[in-house]
Amino acid sequence: MLAPDARLCQNFERGSYLMKVRWNVLAASAGLLVLGLPALAHHSGAAEFDSTKKIDLTGVVTKMEWVNPHAHFRMDVKDSTGKVTNWNLELASPSILERNGWQRHSIKEGDTVTVTGSRARDNSNLGIAQTIVFPDGRKLNFLSAYEDGK
Amino acid sequence: MRARWILGIAVSAALAVVSLLAQPQGDASKGKGQDKAKGGGGVGLYQRQPPTPKGPAPKLADGTPDLSGVWLGSGANDADISRALKPGDSVVMLPWAAALVKTRQSKDDPESNCMPAGIPRGSPYPWRIAQTPGLYFIVYEGNIHSWRQVFMDGRKQPEDPDPYWYGHSVGRWDGQTWVVDTVGFNDKFWFDYVGHPHTEKLHTTERYTRTDLGNMSIEVTIDDPGAYAKPFTTVGHARIMAGTELLEYICQEDNYDLQHISGPAQGPGGSTR
Repeated sequence: MLAPDARLCQNFERGSYLMKVRWNVLAASAGLLVLGLPALAHHSGAAEFDSTKKIDLTGVVTKMEWVNPHAHFRMDVKDSTGKVTNWNLELASPSILERNGWQRHSIKEGDTVTVTGSRARDNSNLGIAQTIVFPDGRKLNFLSAYEDGK
Repeated sequence: MRARWILGIAVSAALAVVSLLAQPQGDASKGKGQDKAKGGGGVGLYQRQPPTPKGPAPKLADGTPDLSGVWLGSGANDADISRALKPGDSVVMLPWAAALVKTRQSKDDPESNCMPAGIPRGSPYPWRIAQTPGLYFIVYEGNIHSWRQVFMDGRKQPEDPDPYWYGHSVGRWDGQTWVVDTVGFNDKFWFDYVGHPHTEKLHTTERYTRTDLGNMSIEVTIDDPGAYAKPFTTVGHARIMAGTELLEYICQEDNYDLQHISGPAQGPGGSTR
């Protein structure tokens, strides 16, 4: 059990953002984007992904890699000119995913999905797959297969 | 104006949800919806977890506290060690250490490089304590997939131990509290994401107390006169994850992330020292 002052310290970041909500909606939105990057277990999500660089991609899965420290999948995305780009889309670790209802077959080669998330800071074709939506409406996210988040 | 307030409320609600996902893992056992009556709730990054088991702290046949089980949580805040201190304590770095923290980069964090976390840095992954006669083990799923041995046969610490990631540990019982004394550390691991350093003079004392069947309090005293002006004690908590076993986390397998990481050492939400 954390001491009360320790809990206050742990909540400092969140508390500061909530104050901004009160005074400035736009500033709070910026804070939301930063906090929206997940804790990625072995490094800060904010050090790898830029929450201001949103991605919204629809394409065909070419490979699922159930590996550590992060499971990830590859997806071919065709732009309006017909040019195809292969994206690498990152998830949590297999052990976190497995405990949250994912399986290695949850996404398969050939699946068409729409992915939203954030792009890597270095502008490479790497992104974090914060939401994954199938044509039938089934949803996954980078952390969990439980749509209700509970 | 009204639309602005409605938007503000919507942002606040969304913020509350995502901030739970972005929380530091110092007390990873905490989470949303813990112990919901309908089959449990979220604990740390894990959802739909069974409720924390209730009951008295168990004992082994010889009366020793039984520390077995799959635990989630740690004795410190892994985003910033100074955020989870014993009341009245403070982290006072020596000038060289304070200057070093300001220059550290996320890509250099040993944890990002899939090296061991050292003590007392926690992770979002569970761990076990295995008690055998004269020798206990702490088995970590991550970060990284590793283990520590704690000698319980009464031996003393070596006088001039060589430096290692997890040092040399001897343990004893202080009533119902398992006390682990460790020296012989290397100076390579960071205490947290923001980069608090240490030296080979580091001496840690961990105190694990299973307060009941499902909960453990953990305190860790950090004494490193090479980097800090005075010792300090961190406080944390772990809870039993009743519905799982340890799984595999071989961080070195495909750590392509490292080449994409940039910027100062920072916590999950981007906080720095």
